[in-house]
Amino acid sequence: MISLSDAGKQFSARGKTLRALEPLTLDVAGQEFIALVGPSGCGKSTILNLIAGLLRPSEGTVKYDGVVVTRPNVRVGYITQKDTLLPWRNVQDNVGLALELKIRRTSRAAAAARVAAMIDLVGLKGFERHYPSELSGGMRKRAALARTLIYEPETLLMDEPFGALDAQLRLLMMDELQRLTQARRITVVFVTHDLGEAIALADRVVIMSARPGRIRRIREISIPRPRDIFKLRFTAEFAQLYEELWNELKDEVVKGTDV
Amino acid sequence: MQRSTFLWQVAFGIGLLGAWYACGLVFGVAWISSPVLVARKLAAWLMTGSIYLHVMTTLTEMVVGLIIGVVLGVLCGLLLGMSRLVATVLRPIIFAIYSVPLISLAPLLIMIFGIDMLPKIVLVATVVFFLVLFNTMKGVEMVDPDMVDVLKLMGARWHESFWKVLLPGCMVWILSGVKVALPYALVAATVGEMMAARRGLGMLLSDSGQKFDVTAIYALLLILTVLGLLVAETGTWVEGSLLRWRRKHA
Repeated sequence: MISLSDAGKQFSARGKTLRALEPLTLDVAGQEFIALVGPSGCGKSTILNLIAGLLRPSEGTVKYDGVVVTRPNVRVGYITQKDTLLPWRNVQDNVGLALELKIRRTSRAAAAARVAAMIDLVGLKGFERHYPSELSGGMRKRAALARTLIYEPETLLMDEPFGALDAQLRLLMMDELQRLTQARRITVVFVTHDLGEAIALADRVVIMSARPGRIRRIREISIPRPRDIFKLRFTAEFAQLYEELWNELKDEVVKGTDV
Repeated sequence: MQRSTFLWQVAFGIGLLGAWYACGLVFGVAWISSPVLVARKLAAWLMTGSIYLHVMTTLTEMVVGLIIGVVLGVLCGLLLGMSRLVATVLRPIIFAIYSVPLISLAPLLIMIFGIDMLPKIVLVATVVFFLVLFNTMKGVEMVDPDMVDVLKLMGARWHESFWKVLLPGCMVWILSGVKVALPYALVAATVGEMMAARRGLGMLLSDSGQKFDVTAIYALLLILTVLGLLVAETGTWVEGSLLRWRRKHA
């Protein structure tokens, strides 16, 4: 479905070249949930930008569904850490944004129905007319998720989507994400620096090395679905996986935080 | 506002008028006039209706100039903000023109466009244009590129991103530019009229000056003050109603 082959990226700024991503090869299967974990600055976000077609690789190729990605990929939805809700639109107008576009033109009545259903799905009923500035962090995340899911992208790219939320809310959102992506059979590429989050959600966890990013380890997570996000953390299976992967990750975290 | 604060403000206003009146008595009303004379003058103007023509002239120059200046300023600001090439080419010229005190263009404009409303409208439009231009360019620069990216991935065409993200995204900056421009528009219209005109508050002002009619000057300044306040209030109201989503910020 998604395949990066020797795809790397370097930026040049003021005559200096900065390598964001070492050439890297990675395949993501359709409907797979893959989590990329690594210290900050290891190029995780660059990978998402390459898949989204917002960046072009400096070398190698990025293919989506067998075709080389050369322009913004309209079959993916992208959710960043900073939510990019439009502050001048209320929740329902933000959620319905994609349906106003020509490429996804929907009749007004059909759009309203889908918006209402989507708002209900993410638990924002009663807040349709609130502006983003009037919502809590978790609600904004839900609104951003609804705005992306409404146009039914095949693939969801998520860049530390729950980074800014508190621990309880994060678990709730993880649970919701699992429910939504399983029900709709969406492919997810999920970037995080939280190993526990990655193990709880993903089919495969990719451990990245510190800058410049390389793949250090890929681990299958065979915990059966649906997973109980809230209790999973206390199981022996989880603890064992966590320890195993943490041993890989911790050297990189130390290296990555030299600053 | 607290009631006692308001009373203090009223007391201060009355005190000021009293002091003005007293100064007139002591030093002679020829130079200082007096609140009574000014009130009489205003009443006479309003009764005969002779002042309306001048007020309307100044307001028309201001409003027409504002509309032209804002429209052109926003259009050019968007163009310059979005195209680095155009901005680089035009930047030196724009800054060169802007560094001239724009009011000093008035004699030239009067020579070219005559002494009726047109040169004042052009002057107002020029002053407003630059203020709105710079703010709009800044606004385009401040639009979150991530929002534009999100729209791209949704499959938005260029014009869809423009109408849905770019323009509303700079609206805060455009409106604050317009708000700053409002008092300057009144200044430009009045100054233009003071140089050469047949009608308008600025013309009356310079005319009264030449006739040493101090009372008329004060009365005109009072009218200009009221106009200035009204214009500023209208600006604040328009901004507030267009940016309702923003007022609710915690």
